[in-house]
Amino acid sequence: MRWGMVVNLIKCTRCHACIAACRIEHFLPMGMNWPRLIAWETDVPGEELTTIPVRCNQCKDAPCVEVCPAEATKKREDGIVYVDNDICVGCRYCIIACPYQNRTFLSRDKDPGYFPGYERTRFEKAGRKIYPHTVGTTEKCDFCMERIDAGLAKGLVPGKDREATPACVNTCQARALTFGDLDDPESEVSKLIKEKNAFQLHPEYGTDPSVYYIDGKIGNAPSNIAPREEQTASHMQHLSTMEERAKQIFGKK
Amino acid sequence: MSRMATRQWMTTHEWMVKPMHQREWIERRGIMIWIAETFTSLGAGLYLVSLFINSWWGLLVGWLIIMFLKLPLHIAYFGKPWRFYRTLPPFSNAWKTSWFARGILFSVFFGTFGFVQLVFGQPDLANLIGTSIANPIYYTFGVLAGINAVGTGIYGGFIMNYVKGIPFWNQGLLPVVFILAGVADGFGLTMGIGLGGGDASVSWAETGSSYLLIINILLIIVYLISARYTSEVAKISVQELLTGPSAFMFWGGLVTLGMVIPAAVSLVSLFGEASTVLLIIAIVAHTLGAFALKYCLLKVGIYRPLLPKVAAY
Ligand code: SF4
Ligand code: SF4
Ligand code: SF4
Repeated sequence: MRWGMVVNLIKCTRCHACIAACRIEHFLPMGMNWPRLIAWETDVPGEELTTIPVRCNQCKDAPCVEVCPAEATKKREDGIVYVDNDICVGCRYCIIACPYQNRTFLSRDKDPGYFPGYERTRFEKAGRKIYPHTVGTTEKCDFCMERIDAGLAKGLVPGKDREATPACVNTCQARALTFGDLDDPESEVSKLIKEKNAFQLHPEYGTDPSVYYIDGKIGNAPSNIAPREEQTASHMQHLSTMEERAKQIFGKK
Repeated sequence: MSRMATRQWMTTHEWMVKPMHQREWIERRGIMIWIAETFTSLGAGLYLVSLFINSWWGLLVGWLIIMFLKLPLHIAYFGKPWRFYRTLPPFSNAWKTSWFARGILFSVFFGTFGFVQLVFGQPDLANLIGTSIANPIYYTFGVLAGINAVGTGIYGGFIMNYVKGIPFWNQGLLPVVFILAGVADGFGLTMGIGLGGGDASVSWAETGSSYLLIINILLIIVYLISARYTSEVAKISVQELLTGPSAFMFWGGLVTLGMVIPAAVSLVSLFGEASTVLLIIAIVAHTLGAFALKYCLLKVGIYRPLLPKVAAY
């Protein structure tokens, strides 16, 4: 079993919901970022920004695991790479070694509280009991391993049952994120990778990332422009559903 | 409003979109890594050269640099310094895969073996217990300390050369640059030991220093040329060194202080005897050059961007 994710860039509407979902799920400190939405301008006149949601790729041959001098970064049997923050010495070699730059060192100034200058809210305090976010150590996306473990313990299927699926995948309103077992040829992720010619970021590093991308026309070819209409279609559809619902609610009033 | 509230940690949407500098090991607290790396070079290099010429004072100073300047700085840089022991067996077996862990082990072994060598090499103590007992111990531990000094001096090169995302570092030659620069630094400091009245020959150290200087100049030229043709991002690194933001450190620090001035002093002594003042200038310039070399290497560590479109980088 090896957990993986497919990000469909055609469907992604660049809404930031996955970023927010991860922050909420893990009570991330203000200066901490696990997933990110990176953006750049296309060279097509009149085109808008193009974006890619990125997070730790849970590399099969992860340099961050190999270099960690304290064995604080570990890889599980199911392929998830995580940091044991009770062991991490904060040397930051893993940050340097990650060719995708998906790790962040939690320094004191990155953790000023949600309302700097004020006491932590009850929400934050409650969150710290679950995710301590130890200052002086390194953090990154862990594929929501707690959700996966808890879900599996209940007999649920990650990627199918929401309770066992990563928070960002659940939240994505455009259904651009798909999660599942890369080792199972019948899983949705495996089928998507095969059918849509999904690609990994910088496969030449030999890291074998577990996060794949689908981009309308490219497959393995370099291109970064997915058709705009397709990008926004699912979102507009989603908005129209909301509009309908809003009419129902406000109409009643 | 709190000052914290206005702080920008990173521009998340621009992260790794274009070629991006590594910052962790050169900016803010990362300066400690730069200085620690330079002390590694100076300490290990001095120890190795002193072993070769059997200079007890050189061994002592080299050992002190590693134990009291390099190691504390490295550990102080850690986010959790008191967990330092976690990097060592039996708590961690990371030395099997991690050059960082190996480097820490080399340093610890170096510290231990070097200490024993220094104790049994101390003339008064050696006379007290008898040279027939002291000498074999001194030489045996000298070999062990020497091997670990090589490891200590070279591991930084392997640490950086392992990073696939930074093509300027990801060059096979980098560890060679590290160790040879260290030995050259060692020769420079050995001159200082000799001038300070220690048991090292100044003229011998000066000759060694001149040869190493020539080798290092050639090595750095080869390194820059080979990096230049490795990838577009490594080319940016080279440009930054030659004409960009790091040019001052490269030309002023590494080339002028680290190479031209020591070479000029060597030339002077080739045709006569260089004065003590000139030799001191050469030693200081060489040492500052060592700091400049590590700064340049760390500062122009640039990552290839993430995006498929610019994969050609
Ligand atoms: S993306 Fe980076 S942090 Fe994540 S597993 Fe790969 S090397 Fe490690
Ligand atoms: S910062 Fe922590 S997790 Fe990263 S390499 Fe160092 S000890 Fe390991
Ligand atoms: S998988 Fe979980 S930890 Fe990773 S980005 Fe998504 S929500 Fe965050």
